[in-house]
Amino acid sequence: MTETILSVRNLRVEFPTRRGLLVGLDDVSFDIRAGEVLGVVGESGAGKSMTGAAIMQQIAKPGRIAGGEIRLKGDRIDNLSPKAMERVRGRHIGMVFQDPLTSLNPLMTVGEHLVETIRIHTDLSREAARKRAIELLDEVGIPDPQSRMLRYPHEFSGGQRQRVVIALALCAEPALVIADEPTTALDVSIQAQIIALIRRLCDDRGTAFMLITHDMGMIAETADRVAVLYAGRVAEVGTVKDVVTQPKHPYTQGLMAAIPTLEADVDRLRQIPGSMPGLSAIPSGCAFRPRCDFRTDICSTSRPPLSGDAAHVAACHLIQKEMAI
Amino acid sequence: MTPFSDPSKTSKFPRLAALWESDLGYDFRQSRLVMIATVIFFLLILAALLAPWIAPMNPYDPASLDIMNSSLPPAWYQDGFAAFPFGTDDQGRDMLSATLYGLRTSIIISILGVALASVIGITLGVIAGYFGGIIDTIIMRVADVQLSFPAILVALLIDGIVHTIIPSATREDSAAAIIVLAIGASFWVQYARTIRSSTMVEKNKDYVSAARLFALPSTTIMVRHIIPNVMGPVLVILTINFGLAIITEATLSYLGVGLPPMQPSLGTLIRIGQEYLFSGQWWIVAVPSVALGVLVLTINLLGDWLRDVLNPKLR
Amino acid sequence: MTKQTKAFVEVRSLSRRFDVSKPWLNRIIEREPRKFLNAASDISFSVEKGKTFALVGESGSGKSTVARMLVGLLTPDSGSVTIDGRSITQPKGRAELRAIRSRIQMIFQDPYASLNPRWRVGRIVAEPMLALKLVEDVSQAEAETAKLLELVGLSREDMGRFPHEFSGGQRQRIAIARALAAKAEFIVCDEPTSALDVSVQAQILNLMRDLQKELSLTYVLISHNLAVVRYMADMIGVMHYGKMVEMQPPSLLFAAPKDDYTRMLIDAVPQMSAAVRRSASGTN
Repeated sequence: MTETILSVRNLRVEFPTRRGLLVGLDDVSFDIRAGEVLGVVGESGAGKSMTGAAIMQQIAKPGRIAGGEIRLKGDRIDNLSPKAMERVRGRHIGMVFQDPLTSLNPLMTVGEHLVETIRIHTDLSREAARKRAIELLDEVGIPDPQSRMLRYPHEFSGGQRQRVVIALALCAEPALVIADEPTTALDVSIQAQIIALIRRLCDDRGTAFMLITHDMGMIAETADRVAVLYAGRVAEVGTVKDVVTQPKHPYTQGLMAAIPTLEADVDRLRQIPGSMPGLSAIPSGCAFRPRCDFRTDICSTSRPPLSGDAAHVAACHLIQKEMAI
Repeated sequence: MTPFSDPSKTSKFPRLAALWESDLGYDFRQSRLVMIATVIFFLLILAALLAPWIAPMNPYDPASLDIMNSSLPPAWYQDGFAAFPFGTDDQGRDMLSATLYGLRTSIIISILGVALASVIGITLGVIAGYFGGIIDTIIMRVADVQLSFPAILVALLIDGIVHTIIPSATREDSAAAIIVLAIGASFWVQYARTIRSSTMVEKNKDYVSAARLFALPSTTIMVRHIIPNVMGPVLVILTINFGLAIITEATLSYLGVGLPPMQPSLGTLIRIGQEYLFSGQWWIVAVPSVALGVLVLTINLLGDWLRDVLNPKLR
Repeated sequence: MTKQTKAFVEVRSLSRRFDVSKPWLNRIIEREPRKFLNAASDISFSVEKGKTFALVGESGSGKSTVARMLVGLLTPDSGSVTIDGRSITQPKGRAELRAIRSRIQMIFQDPYASLNPRWRVGRIVAEPMLALKLVEDVSQAEAETAKLLELVGLSREDMGRFPHEFSGGQRQRIAIARALAAKAEFIVCDEPTSALDVSVQAQILNLMRDLQKELSLTYVLISHNLAVVRYMADMIGVMHYGKMVEMQPPSLLFAAPKDDYTRMLIDAVPQMSAAVRRSASGTN
């Protein structure tokens, strides 16, 4: 049984505003094991970026973690002081963000940036760090790393920049890498290359990967398991195969049917009526209830817990009913 | 009952209520200093505009002056009278009234000057930003040249030109207009520059492209679409410029190039009063100076707060 | 391929290049010649009335440049665009310009930048009617606006609201209503759903198809998303570095792409079936 690298239990993020309390994440739980890619998928406002931010303690004020536990390799990280968290970030958790242009310092060569990052997190000498940097660039697929190291970020293409950012994230050999929409700004052909890179790195190094995206297609190609978020809550968690081919939650079912695909001719895309509620207007009971075709009375009074079998759970009262029968 | 009720739908003055409840209003209520400054500012403005009615006397009506009342010290002195709370000058003019009238003149001239500057600046800024190319270059170079002339010099130049054209013009009539022109001609550059960069950003946005698809002429697009969306920073510039304009006008008057003694502004009063400082009659220069200082201070406090609060990057 | 009916929209040899040389002074000092970027070279295609033509390509392919030339926001260096026999690129006179502008409209990619944030929705949708003189007076414009908002799935009360009160999907609906307000028959859609969530995208795409059937609209759809294009288009043109490398109906294009670039593009698209494939093989 592979080691559990990240364990999130009952995570709750709140935003006290002067107009009331907004709940950004409500009772979110999932695990990521070594060498596994977990996709965290959801539409805008679902809370997927917030989940990544909560793990790294980078929630913008006045937001705060108001409940639950986050454990990295067994140790709690949600209650660390900002200074202690700084040491964890980068060393034990690597980060890859959407826009490589703003992730890289335009005034430093790529080599300088890598060497500096390596030396902050490890004890390597300057020379050893330089060698390591070249190895990393090679590993992420930058051709001719020795001379490319001397170049500035703007001299790289978008896809290559993102590779550099991934190399930076891997500098200190972190156990976990969190990537928030890493390929959204890239062309489809480049995206395919980055997907392959992520997969290879996970398999070779055993890094746990949390892939945050709205793109189900990318999840299908890259992830092993997926957590579907809706209005700050977990709607469904399972292996990618199960969730894509046999979704249990009506939202996931609607989502799968709404995605146009190259593989079959569809008469009409299924559309889910309405839109996801904003944080200030989450319905009582099940958050998806107003848009759900299968809603019943219990859906408006009680919030459904995650239920199903061990590997594939969904937050829906219908499943419990099915199981009860 | 939702905690997120909308004040603009429940109160009698929806717009004001929305403003009070908004993030801007909240910030405002948080800063006591700014609130006090704003109140004082509005009080000064109100007092100045209502001067003819609230001043104890009209200090520039020779008939109301009594030379017997000259050089009286403020009321709390032994020799002072309650009727002249801040004393009188050598002609017997009540300092409180004189200061009120002076405030009025200063404020009106500054408002007009800043209004002129903003109209010129916004117009040129939008044109430069929207059309770009050679038009932009010309306008910006003119702006650069304009910046190298201090407002005082511009006032002197305009003054000289006006007097050459209308040699027998009475100084009284043209003085105010000259200062307004001088302020307008000096201060427009700041507006133009800011508006120009905002325009260059807005014109590339899709809603402007959409408007072009409706065969609308450029002027219509500039006025109806672009200007409403670039006016944001103007408010901040206006408040800060207002303070600058008042100081500029005061300086000009102090130097003697501004308004004549019969229509004094705060600057003129300060200049006149300065001569009496060393003979012990400090109140003649002190009262208008304090008024000027408080006015500009409150404006600057308000302007600074506005700029910080409207700047999304600082939040 | 025989042409039975004259196509509604004819694009012939559209070309446009951009001057990307250094500023004049730099060029003189460094003795460099002018540099040009061929954004679009010799693009030709035709679209029949009531059909959808899709232009696909990656960033830098030139598809957005072509879109803007189709609509008249950008003047082509050479080539022509005719709609129903009338040339867009050389209109004669103000009235003819207005008439043409009325028939061609555009839906933009960013729903947050395509509506004037200071105008109410009613005024936004009514603007083309008034500017192109398609209505007699303001009250008629109001009535038409209400009808259009309902047609795209909003309500007439939305006329008094501001754009920021709406979600991205709803703003695109407003943009569609605005295009229809101009009595457009030919709508160029530049990545209309790229900024939208998947479930909202489905709503907008379905709306566009329904409106096409109901009003006989002709679309040119610009997109980088091949799956969306497959769902919407009757004919697809693939652009690469400013050139049209392949043009086929979807059934042929995806089954048997002729061009290498097209093939690469199709292969790169993430597939849902990968989920099954990968778990079946155990490794990747």
